[in-house]
Amino acid sequence: MNRLNPFYCIVVLVLSATVAFGDTEGTTGETDTPKLSLQSAVMCESIQGYSPVNSSVIFSISIGKVACFSFFNPVPDKTFVEHRWYHRDKLSTTKKLSVNPPKWATYSSIQLREADKGPWRVDIIDDSGHKLETLRFSITD
Amino acid sequence: MYEFFSVSSVFRWQDVVDILLNSYILFRLYVLFRGTNVLRVIAGIALLWVFQRAAVSVGLIVTSWAMQGIIAGAALIIIIVFRNEIRNVLQAPNLKAILWGVPQKSVIAPVDSIIEGVYELAKNKVGALIVLPGNEGLKDHIQEGVWWDGKITREMLMSIFWPDNPVHDGAAIIKGDRVTQVGTILPLSERVDLPSYYGTRHRAAAGLAEKSDAMVIVVSEERGEVMVAMGDQLLEIKDNIDLKTLIDEHLDISPPHDGPAKKENPEFLIAGLICVVCVCAVWFSFSRGLEALVTMDIPVEYMNRSSTMEIFDTSVNNVRLHLSGSGALIKNIHQDQIKFRLDLKDAVVGINRFAVTQENVSLPPGIFLRKMEPLVIEVILDVPVVKELPIQVDWIGKMGKSLILEDVELSPNSAKVVGGSRVLEGVTTLYTEKILLDTLTKTGQTVVNLALYPANLKLASGSSNTVVIKYKVKNRS
Repeated sequence: MNRLNPFYCIVVLVLSATVAFGDTEGTTGETDTPKLSLQSAVMCESIQGYSPVNSSVIFSISIGKVACFSFFNPVPDKTFVEHRWYHRDKLSTTKKLSVNPPKWATYSSIQLREADKGPWRVDIIDDSGHKLETLRFSITD
Repeated sequence: MYEFFSVSSVFRWQDVVDILLNSYILFRLYVLFRGTNVLRVIAGIALLWVFQRAAVSVGLIVTSWAMQGIIAGAALIIIIVFRNEIRNVLQAPNLKAILWGVPQKSVIAPVDSIIEGVYELAKNKVGALIVLPGNEGLKDHIQEGVWWDGKITREMLMSIFWPDNPVHDGAAIIKGDRVTQVGTILPLSERVDLPSYYGTRHRAAAGLAEKSDAMVIVVSEERGEVMVAMGDQLLEIKDNIDLKTLIDEHLDISPPHDGPAKKENPEFLIAGLICVVCVCAVWFSFSRGLEALVTMDIPVEYMNRSSTMEIFDTSVNNVRLHLSGSGALIKNIHQDQIKFRLDLKDAVVGINRFAVTQENVSLPPGIFLRKMEPLVIEVILDVPVVKELPIQVDWIGKMGKSLILEDVELSPNSAKVVGGSRVLEGVTTLYTEKILLDTLTKTGQTVVNLALYPANLKLASGSSNTVVIKYKVKNRS
């Protein structure tokens, strides 16, 4: 939020999912320390029941918002990730999301407005700055 | 004084050549036409031109307009009225005679023989009419007689005008040392003030003298008198000394001790100087007379750029120069005569701002810079690098509400581009041309080109500009 341009009126809805998926067997007895792994990431219209709804690569501005869903498994330690939203290569907003063991799903979303039409991407970055995934999509009429 | 130095500093070599060439042409016209009425008319026209310029400078509109009209028609008038004189000059034996030679009376008339012949005729009361042409042609005034071409001697003149000779009634034309024609009919004078005892011979002499610059010698048949017709005058000649003096003056024959070259040299020198002064005056009148302004857009030329850098962008491609100078110079100025150069010797990678000065502008002499726009030019220089960038589809339009574009696969999904290192720092994605969603109803594929932005990016060799896009469409659940 600290990178949000004052002229840019995107409302970022952050719903850091606080729901652990109940499976506590994520911590294994392996000797090697497991690393944070991004199991899946998609752009979707909304989140329902901790799952992405209508994942797609284009979103009509009429739906009002778009979300980036990411699921990490395993999550060895409590950490955080960033969703960096870019509109035509220009950073629009960055959202820091906490991620907890043993596996974690989280998402960020933005409200859409007329000026947001065009190509977008979301970079998912771990706490050490490594890019885990890039999701590309477009906002259209 | 300042004005003089400012003028001398802007003298081009072309101006010097221009002045000298026209001075020489003027001088040659003088040499070729001296002694004829052409020169006097030209002098009159030149005077009219001076008056016309003066009238313009003081704002006499009608006067200057009228004089301008007369001067405009003068060239035509000169050619028509003085066609004979012009023809005589142009009929010179060779080009050298026109361009360089001085018309000489190469063959001097045997004056003594003429005088002896004339007085022998007078003594015997034999009527005679002898024409010594001047510089003007006689063809339009006389009716040609019999071509004779005989060398002048006293006896020859006596025989021509001897009463029993069939051609004795006409006039004899003398050119150089020869009688060229005899039996020539001269125009009669229409003057009413001539004495009644003057006969046809006197009237013919007066008639030709009035119409040309010829000298006509008349020998009276009745009284044995000798008379000379020149211009409007009919002079009675008392003795042979008077006649010799008149003939010498008419034929421009100088005494032996004062040769033609010695006499002509100062005359030509003065004439030459006058020609140079006149042409200089005209040149200054043209080049300094009227101040004119012009605005020109000149392309910027960049010099001394480092070979490792390239110009990626500039704030302007042309500079607008407001120039002034004389009307004649401004009228003839061409864009390629003006240069605007920017030295990139000290330029660095990134944005370089150059304040433009008069030193950047190269102008032909006589043209002055009044103003420049803009005063600062930005030049962006950069080191070209190659970067591989992912490709993203730029979708536009509206897809059917019941459809979802589930997935897209690009081939290739990246491309290498060449651009400035600073420019490419901020470029992380290449986009395709816009693809319309409205027509997409089912899974398929399409081919589009890349839309490189910024425009100064170029595809690296080996990278394709076309991208195959496979898309997967599904129904909304």
